[in-house]
Amino acid sequence: MGRFLLKRLGLALITLFLLGVFVFIGAQVLPGNVARRILGPFADQSAVENLNHQLGTDRPLLTQYWDWITSFFRGDLGDSLAYHVPVSSLIGDALVNSLKLAALAFVLVVPIAILGGVIAALKRDRAIDRVITLGGLSLSVIPEFVTGIMLILVFALWLDVLPVSANAPDNADPLTQIKYLLLPAFTLVLVLFGYIARITRAGTIESLDSDYTRTAILKGLPRRTVVRRHVLRNSLLPTIAVVATQTGYLIVGLVVIETLFNYPGMGRLIFTAATQKDFPLLEAAVLIVGIVFLIANLAADLAYSLLNPRIRYAAAE
Amino acid sequence: MDETQRRVDEIRKESTELENHIIDQFIEGKMTRRDLMRRGTVVGMSIPLLSFIAAACGGGNDSASTGTGGGTATGEVTAGGNVRVALIQPTTAPNPLLVQDEGGAGLLGSTGEFLSFSNSDLELEPRLAEKWEPNDDGSEWTFTIRQGVKFHSGATLVADDVVQTFEKLINPKGGSANAQSALGGVLSPGNIEAPDDATVVFHLDAPNGNFPTLVSSANYNAIIIPADLDPADWGKTFEGTGPFKLQSFTPKQGAKFVRNDAYWGDKANPDSMELKFYDDEAPMVLGIQGDEVDFVEHFSVSGGKALLDDPNVQVIAIRTATHRQVHMRTDKDPFTDKRVRQAIALSIDRAALVDGLWEGKADLGNDSPFAPVYPATDTSVAQREQDLEQAKQLLADAGASNVTVELDTWNGFEIPDLAQLIKQNAAEIGVTLNLKITDAATYYGDGVFGKSRWLDSVMGITDYGHRPVPNVYLTASLSGDPKIGVWNSAHFKNDEYDSLVQQYVAALDLDSQKGVAKQIQELLLDETPIIFPYFYNFLSAAKPNLKNAVSAATGQFDLSKAGFTS
Repeated sequence: MGRFLLKRLGLALITLFLLGVFVFIGAQVLPGNVARRILGPFADQSAVENLNHQLGTDRPLLTQYWDWITSFFRGDLGDSLAYHVPVSSLIGDALVNSLKLAALAFVLVVPIAILGGVIAALKRDRAIDRVITLGGLSLSVIPEFVTGIMLILVFALWLDVLPVSANAPDNADPLTQIKYLLLPAFTLVLVLFGYIARITRAGTIESLDSDYTRTAILKGLPRRTVVRRHVLRNSLLPTIAVVATQTGYLIVGLVVIETLFNYPGMGRLIFTAATQKDFPLLEAAVLIVGIVFLIANLAADLAYSLLNPRIRYAAAE
Repeated sequence: MDETQRRVDEIRKESTELENHIIDQFIEGKMTRRDLMRRGTVVGMSIPLLSFIAAACGGGNDSASTGTGGGTATGEVTAGGNVRVALIQPTTAPNPLLVQDEGGAGLLGSTGEFLSFSNSDLELEPRLAEKWEPNDDGSEWTFTIRQGVKFHSGATLVADDVVQTFEKLINPKGGSANAQSALGGVLSPGNIEAPDDATVVFHLDAPNGNFPTLVSSANYNAIIIPADLDPADWGKTFEGTGPFKLQSFTPKQGAKFVRNDAYWGDKANPDSMELKFYDDEAPMVLGIQGDEVDFVEHFSVSGGKALLDDPNVQVIAIRTATHRQVHMRTDKDPFTDKRVRQAIALSIDRAALVDGLWEGKADLGNDSPFAPVYPATDTSVAQREQDLEQAKQLLADAGASNVTVELDTWNGFEIPDLAQLIKQNAAEIGVTLNLKITDAATYYGDGVFGKSRWLDSVMGITDYGHRPVPNVYLTASLSGDPKIGVWNSAHFKNDEYDSLVQQYVAALDLDSQKGVAKQIQELLLDETPIIFPYFYNFLSAAKPNLKNAVSAATGQFDLSKAGFTS
């Protein structure tokens, strides 16, 4: 297991390095330049050039990249070109916000979706199976913007039981923060439920149809015990993979939901950094994204090995 | 002698020749009361004085109101409270030199003050300047700075603070691009002096009858800051002289302000004011409907339809000069012949654009920068309307057939819809417009000739924000002088036009301005280098129980007198 983890860490570092290089190159390809973005389209060209010089963005690309990467390894993420505040403060706040929302959504959607998928599999081809699979699919194809607005209309405006935005007042207690996050979290539940439930259903059906399940039933074990002890731990393997990838999306991919609920998370931060060509902020944020995905995938692999001894033994070898 | 007349005579004895000329025009009926207020404040007459003159001298009747009012309902309010404002996300750090967006302008004006405040009626209300007056030809303006004013840090405002503020703004190396767009060619560095702590004299490059407006809140970068403050550090303290001072600021989230109890004027009614930043319009609309904010600084017709119909929201609509310019390059085929340009202009159904895109909340444009909201605009110039037959005839006369042109623009606001509608209108006269709609960065490029689709395209649509006077539109967008016409996307070159604009800019009295404006309007109707289809309203929204909140067409707002009814 130790060798496995070291190997994964090494690959992760290489991946992050390449990611950083690609993002830097990609940012240069985006139209416009930083100073023009800041000063606007009507600014005099000399003012633009002057600001580019002040910001250091008129230096050779390699110089800019070298300065950034060396600062990064010293723990200095630099200052945002647009906002002139340390990148670490912007990312720190946004990451914490995104983690809160992702955690709440995760806690809600994963158990509900897994339960729905298992029930659908156990009641295969019956009415409840149809409701869960078709209903979940329908909810998944509705754009999250539409789902979010509908929830806001119903719960925030008509029933007035939840706030319209996700941004709780400063120093709000945890319960108040959760209250503010409920609507965006519900939106994510509706968006993700169908996908996770379908994967769980497929995995559960495969497990139910397998030889070991038939053996367990023939041995006389109660159905509930068969499902809990033999079916679930095998059926959840593909679900874990799906949940791992969705974790990354939950933390850094919620641009639309963060905008709709006016929530200052990582999604909006990265989008703004990209459109403003705020290179230090964009690079640091994307590296954080990479780390999140890598951790999520690593956690998924570990969970895999815990649930499936064959994978555990193969890794040990 | 009647006491009123005696007082009028006294006032006139102490007034300058220009001020007396304005009073004469009002008495003779050549100027409405509203024009009197506007023009009078621009040349430095106080609003109470002008109100007295208007009441005492009667004179011109008001024409139909050219302003719909810039505030919520007024009335008695409870003292204190916290007013929550929805503001579009600022795009840069709060640096008075760098701000060029509404969100940033809202931040600057939250604690900073200007020499004067340009209200929704285009009147100038004195703030840090008590009064101002020109010399005989308007090439020099003298401002009297209010005494006893303190910055939030406790330092005393002196004339040198004003001098240094403007020197920084117009510094060609590192000044404010937005401020320079208004003051370029008007005021050069080193030409501002403070003969004493209470006086600032601006020596202009050329006579300019609208100069006070150019240094008012309409130039939203022009908040007065201490002489020794680096504008890059302004965001740390939001140093200013206004009725509110900074409590906290979180980039990308919002800011909180508290009442400044050392304010030189009437203390703010609210205890505090909270600005919340929004990246998009939809959550702002939901925010006011969901009672998370009390005031939405700006919303659009397309994004805020729910507010227009909501009985629980006060909508403030201010007529402005905000517009779109549809340029046609006069030096490139097919637009080298003005008949082709006129034909395109005649094909457009402007009334349908105003109704369809703005639900009637816009004024018709008449292909010149003279928006109906300007007092100098000559409304006797016939309004151009759609005339497809005449348009076809003009094309035939010009020998233009199977005309095909690429129309360049970007995908912001209602612009793509406008482009589509213009394309449809043009098709009715046999002109094919191929739309090329990109993003703002691609369309504007580097903002210089040769490196910008905006300035290089044969035909394009560009958005222009509100200016309380049309000077910048007349010069930067249409001047044939390459040093002045830096935004001349139509590549228009007309010596008569340039001469008329020079006369307009120098004119000190409204009569003269109107006379020249009429000639400019008629010339531009004839030449039609640019189509101005409409000038749309600036919309703000407020909760029904919020009173005395003021919005201005430049995106500024004043909540110092605001409060809630019980």
